[in-house]
Amino acid sequence: MKLHYYPGCTLKEKTTALDVSTREAMRRLDIELVEPEGWTCCGAEYPLTEEKIVGLAAPVRVLRQVRDEGGDVVVTTCSFCYAVLKRANKAVREDPLKHKRVNAYLRDDIQINPLTKEKTTGFEDYNGEVKVLHLLEYLRDRVGPPRIREHLKRDLKGLAVAPYYGCRLLRPHKEMGVDEPDSPRIFEDFLETVGCAAVDYAFKQECCGSYVSVSLPAAATEASYRVLRSARMAGAKAIAVTCPLCFYNLDHRQEAIKETFLDFPGIPVVFFTQLLAWALGVDKELLGLKEHAVPADGLFDEGRGAEVRT
Amino acid sequence: MTAKTTKKKDKRIGLFVCHCGVNIASVVDVEKVAEALKEYPGVTFSTDYVYMCSDPGQQMIIDTIKEKHLDGIIVAACSPTLHEKTFQEAARLAGLNPYQIEIANIREQDSWVHTDREKATRKAVRIVKSHVEKALRNENLEPIKVDVKKRALIIGGGISGLQAALDIAEHGYEVILVEKNPSIGGKMIQLSETFPTLDCSQCILTPKMVEVSRHPRIKLLTYHEVDSISGFVGNFKVRIKKKPRYVDESLCNLCGECEKVCPQIVPDEFNMGLSFRKAVYLPFPQAIPGTYTLDEAHCLGLSPVRCGKCKDVCDKMAIDYDMKETFFEEEVGAVVVATGYDLYTMQALGEYGGEKYEDVVNGLEFERILSASGPTGGVVLRPSDGKVPKSVVFVQCSGSRDTEKHNPYCSKICCMYTAKHAMLYKHRVPDGQATVFYIDVRTGGKGFDEFYQRAVEEDKILYIRGKVSKIFKEGDKLVVWGVDTLTGKKVEVEADLVVLAMAMVKADGVQDLLKKLKVSTDIHGFVAEAHPKLRPVESLNAGFYLAGCAHGPKDIPEAVAQASAAAAKVGDLFAQNELVHEPTVVPVNDELCSGCGICITMCPYGARSLDPERGVAVVNEILCEGCGACAAACPSGAAQQRNQTDDQIFSMLRAMLRE
Repeated sequence: MKLHYYPGCTLKEKTTALDVSTREAMRRLDIELVEPEGWTCCGAEYPLTEEKIVGLAAPVRVLRQVRDEGGDVVVTTCSFCYAVLKRANKAVREDPLKHKRVNAYLRDDIQINPLTKEKTTGFEDYNGEVKVLHLLEYLRDRVGPPRIREHLKRDLKGLAVAPYYGCRLLRPHKEMGVDEPDSPRIFEDFLETVGCAAVDYAFKQECCGSYVSVSLPAAATEASYRVLRSARMAGAKAIAVTCPLCFYNLDHRQEAIKETFLDFPGIPVVFFTQLLAWALGVDKELLGLKEHAVPADGLFDEGRGAEVRT
Repeated sequence: MTAKTTKKKDKRIGLFVCHCGVNIASVVDVEKVAEALKEYPGVTFSTDYVYMCSDPGQQMIIDTIKEKHLDGIIVAACSPTLHEKTFQEAARLAGLNPYQIEIANIREQDSWVHTDREKATRKAVRIVKSHVEKALRNENLEPIKVDVKKRALIIGGGISGLQAALDIAEHGYEVILVEKNPSIGGKMIQLSETFPTLDCSQCILTPKMVEVSRHPRIKLLTYHEVDSISGFVGNFKVRIKKKPRYVDESLCNLCGECEKVCPQIVPDEFNMGLSFRKAVYLPFPQAIPGTYTLDEAHCLGLSPVRCGKCKDVCDKMAIDYDMKETFFEEEVGAVVVATGYDLYTMQALGEYGGEKYEDVVNGLEFERILSASGPTGGVVLRPSDGKVPKSVVFVQCSGSRDTEKHNPYCSKICCMYTAKHAMLYKHRVPDGQATVFYIDVRTGGKGFDEFYQRAVEEDKILYIRGKVSKIFKEGDKLVVWGVDTLTGKKVEVEADLVVLAMAMVKADGVQDLLKKLKVSTDIHGFVAEAHPKLRPVESLNAGFYLAGCAHGPKDIPEAVAQASAAAAKVGDLFAQNELVHEPTVVPVNDELCSGCGICITMCPYGARSLDPERGVAVVNEILCEGCGACAAACPSGAAQQRNQTDDQIFSMLRAMLRE
């Protein structure tokens, strides 16, 4: 079966591990991921922070393309892309003024067919027809834990993993609606489905430092340190993330953390899709583990994860 | 098709147009209105006056009715909700049937909402003309009368229910008090000390409980529930469920042998689960009635393989495993709803750990920890390890005043009981640190602010103005994250114990009952009063009165005052030998009624039902509030409201729309 998938820019550049592991995992679940033709950047956080309506053009254009290709669902893995697409979708659906003005911008789009160089224009208004789902939501609601369990090839033997939600997956909760924002279960349930033990800790929804890592690296260092320390203290052997920026702050920043907090021993950070892919039997080489600053190879050790099914 | 009301051609109608000072006269040319109607068919007299509702105004109406032999009058003035009664009374004094009075609203529906004098005047003329048409078709009506059963039902045996029961009984009427729990006492019996005087809650409540149980006119039914109520004001039939206690209360002598041998241990509700009780238990030492109760949910003896230990040791043979749920009926004339409140659940507050942390407790749990009769004997110990907490954080507005996630309203009593909690904690643990997070400190009440000042100044309780965002555990300490909005800084406080001043919410488990009683509730599930200012203790559904926290968060003095007020209202009702009901109800024309039953589903008061023998709708006129929903819905015109018939409405429309 085919499923529209919006990877977003970062997954094609700095964190291909998330993209590759997602594709491999979904293939194992017999789901073929299709990228919308000619997709662009979602606009990251900016379309939502600016009042200007033109900022919504990029995400809405992506959603319109999904619809025009016959898709009724689009999944993302990056929490930022997810938040932007979902909120832009909601804005178009519920705010008549935004709907009118965004569509006024987009109506005159010209699309050039890359093969025939043929130009098309005159798009139909986009009214929020597509449903935006995070892959975790898709796995919970559309695939379902029983079907995932059926496809499991490796036993992760209750590896203690701390789910890290970060900010964008849950809030603003009335718009995102993935799960209850203060006592979410979706990530925990996912980890338990693939055979890990979900570690409960206090900082799973606290900020990783986000974009502050650019302007005030020291503040981001402290923020991510508190998250990592809390997970470690709760007994986690690894932290699972959904977002490339969380990954950057929690993984790549550990070098800086160790310089500031001398007794910090480090903890591997992985994408949830890497755990899924591994449990579904994907080869270690296809998990993109080379991108990790803190080596995570030890977690994906054939020795500890015996083949349970053939 | 429609039942014709005959238009009386020879009717003599008088019109009185009110200036209402400048309220009407500044926008509507009242003289012109009076003038324009002079020649209108049926109008014999027309005038205007500055204040129709004043004594001279009313006298003018009375004199004119007599002098001109008027059969009907129209007062063009304010909304009928304000002065219809006034003018009906004036008409009665002049010997005219009060239902021949029409109020044409030219203030709220005209002068107050328009500015163009000419157009507003034209509108006033049309409004008045429409009422002339109606008045020409009005009939003389007599109020409906019915007997009153002078006996009250109180639902709920907390402080409000007890007070209402005592007051009504003291008025000389019989009372039936129904409480679903094994003992009366409600939430108040669980409290330690009460603000602002710090007198022991049990000490002031138990005398009232005893008084209720001994009162010759109060029939106390604990461990009973109201199953359903039928009938109407003055004449209710109540079906009451007697839950099996499995202990004969007349035989139980409280020796306690049964409790000693009972092998089943369950969390103790009275101590908010902070201690344990047996399946056969006495809720608390002063429980009334003083009898053990066997909790069937936890007893082994009721299951097929009987345990039977308690029965073996009971000398009095008071234990009977074969007791069954029974139902019986009582007749009452009024019902006081005093069903109380519950606390917002811990699970709902994920940001404060949900139910994860044992040492995050709610206000009632802390009351038990403070109480001399509580699980710790009044020594402040925290639940997780029984140590004395050296740092306690109190979080006000937990789940209250939060429009985003929780309840938008203020729970009203938490500011005061938090000050009390912190104060009592400091009295017991003088070297401990008490920190209170608050949004505002609301101390409206006699002696309340002085009490709060004492907490701050004498007991050195640290008040931080800001909300708590998160509570989590690090090691064996709780970490409380908040903000000090006075300095704008983030605050982190380590605590051994956190007390949440939890929002008060609608009582769990009575919502179905309220629905059955057709007692309306507000959006939060609290029982709604008939008028927020002028009828605060009555329900919109006649014969139902409200008392205490069933109506919304309130403290003890306020609950008691409301209970007494409700009792006084019940007294008003019972002081009458017969009830008078507005006759503007909607009877059924048997010949037109097809028995389709649409009107029955439309009626919000349960006044209509189907006569199975004749196959037509019948109306209980006492229950009918004259809303007209059935009349509008009736497809055959069989439901015609008195003095508001289809014919009258169409005549009004025609008059209104005619140029």
